[in-house]
Amino acid sequence: MEIDTETVLKIARLSRIKINEGESADIQKDLNRIVEFVKKLGEIDIDGVDEFNFGKTNIEDMRKDSVTIYDNTDDILKNTKNKNQDFFTVPKIVE
Amino acid sequence: MSEVKLTQLGIKDSRDLLNKKEISATELTNAYIQNIEESSKLNAFIETTFDKALMQASKADKIIGTDSQKSLCGIPLGIKDLFCCKNVKTQAASDILENFIPPYESTVTQKLWNEQAIMLGKLNMDEFAMGSSNETSTYGPVINPWKSTGSHDSLTPGGSSGGSSAAVAANLCTGATGTDTGGSIRQPASFTGTVGLKPTYGRCSRWGIIAFASSFDQAGPITKNVTDSAIMLKAMSGFDPLDSTSAKIDVPDYEQELGKDIKGLRVGLAKEYSLQNGDSEANRKLEEAIKIFKNMGAEIVEVSLPHTEFALPTYYVLAPAEASSNLARYDGVRYGHRAKLDTNDSILELYEKTRSEGFGTEVKRRILIGTYVLSSGYYDAYYKRAQKVRSLIKNDFDEVFKKVDIILTPTTPTSAFPLGSKGTQDPVEMYMNDIFTVPANLAGLPAISLPVGLDELGLPLGVQLIGNNWQEPLLLNTAFNLENTLAFENNPKKWWA
Repeated sequence: MEIDTETVLKIARLSRIKINEGESADIQKDLNRIVEFVKKLGEIDIDGVDEFNFGKTNIEDMRKDSVTIYDNTDDILKNTKNKNQDFFTVPKIVE
Repeated sequence: MSEVKLTQLGIKDSRDLLNKKEISATELTNAYIQNIEESSKLNAFIETTFDKALMQASKADKIIGTDSQKSLCGIPLGIKDLFCCKNVKTQAASDILENFIPPYESTVTQKLWNEQAIMLGKLNMDEFAMGSSNETSTYGPVINPWKSTGSHDSLTPGGSSGGSSAAVAANLCTGATGTDTGGSIRQPASFTGTVGLKPTYGRCSRWGIIAFASSFDQAGPITKNVTDSAIMLKAMSGFDPLDSTSAKIDVPDYEQELGKDIKGLRVGLAKEYSLQNGDSEANRKLEEAIKIFKNMGAEIVEVSLPHTEFALPTYYVLAPAEASSNLARYDGVRYGHRAKLDTNDSILELYEKTRSEGFGTEVKRRILIGTYVLSSGYYDAYYKRAQKVRSLIKNDFDEVFKKVDIILTPTTPTSAFPLGSKGTQDPVEMYMNDIFTVPANLAGLPAISLPVGLDELGLPLGVQLIGNNWQEPLLLNTAFNLENTLAFENNPKKWWA
């Protein structure tokens, strides 16, 4: 199996998803099943093939690089209970 | 006109009656509200906006017949929960967006309201559009209005736009928005006897649609028929400065294109898209579609898309990779769910506990696999390789479209399956559902699913037409011609009310 328990915990940490011990074995099994499935890609010769893209973006179609003022702070803060004045609150970050 | 008949009409027929003042928008909206109120067993609508709908209907009644009238005036629609709607709870059917109220409106829905459509509410879906059966929704699965002959089993309406497909099939709205990342419009349409269109990548703005895999995601309509699809697509399409991948090209009047002769049209049949069971009703229906095209003077051309077998593995590297990046924003800080913390917990615990509690199993699985294929040491073997294979798949289509105008395939390997019957032991079993739909997403091509009839179980079956980039007019007209000859009637027995 390509993905061992240590790798599961590593990618969970990178993903910022807490995994408890009970879940770990099932997740490992599922991830290995998916990896086994996508390993089929190894059968193709990709020498000289470019990575996919949708083509060039037309510079004239892009927005001007200008500042837009968005000031309905109240609407934004309606979506959280964790606020203090106009700020979001989080656990203490610096000692 | 009785209310049952009124809600069977769809977009074009409702529009025609509204224009003739034979019905009012308020009358039409009330008929749909009644149907929705009777439909709780289907679990299609997860949030209703009836007050808003009736206000919009009253306004529409004053506008109809005046110079101010727009293309969807007085037409009641359902909206997939992936579209942010200002001041309407929008959760992408996920706990992590618990009680999220967007302070802005998605471009596509804003365009629909600009055309004076009426909003009935939000429709159920797989969590973050990740699923093919609607079973990953935090609201529980939608139930397909269709049942197998002689059976009471609850069937999936498909996914991820299962609320949209079920609502249209059950006459809960004239049409609905969907989104399609790997088949999420076309597969549910196929399972419910409705018409589902995934436009060319870039045809509709993605702004305000909660992102899953940004290089695949496209919005599109699910409707009762092809004409309604054309009408709704026109309203949804167009360049948007807020989405740099939306295309700055003209939006044709798709409805005007319908009814044109398809004599001489070159229809491609790809051997890689054949059904496993040759002696099935699904195969016979496909043969019937081929015969219809031949009778109309179309030329049937055998073609090959040699990299088709690599499409699903490519998709299941790239889509989770993009999802793992897109879903990194859900951290519990600014909106949605926030985990209860212990006294000494740090900001890391805030992120990790929130995401662990807020995301469902399938979403976590895709974030983890996406993180893995992007992580140091594996990037080249998986992500980079898949991006190259994606080019090969696109090249296959480019070659085939030198020889044909349209490709005809089945939409799905089977008709709707019972809830709980797939993917419980093996996630890949569920992924196989998208085998015929994923390639069009990889190549960015437009594709439509329309019903061709019923199978041995009495369930709807769809066929898929894939067109070249920006060929929606041809795609819709071809589908329209096929639909006219097939004369499929979407009339599931009303067991839910």
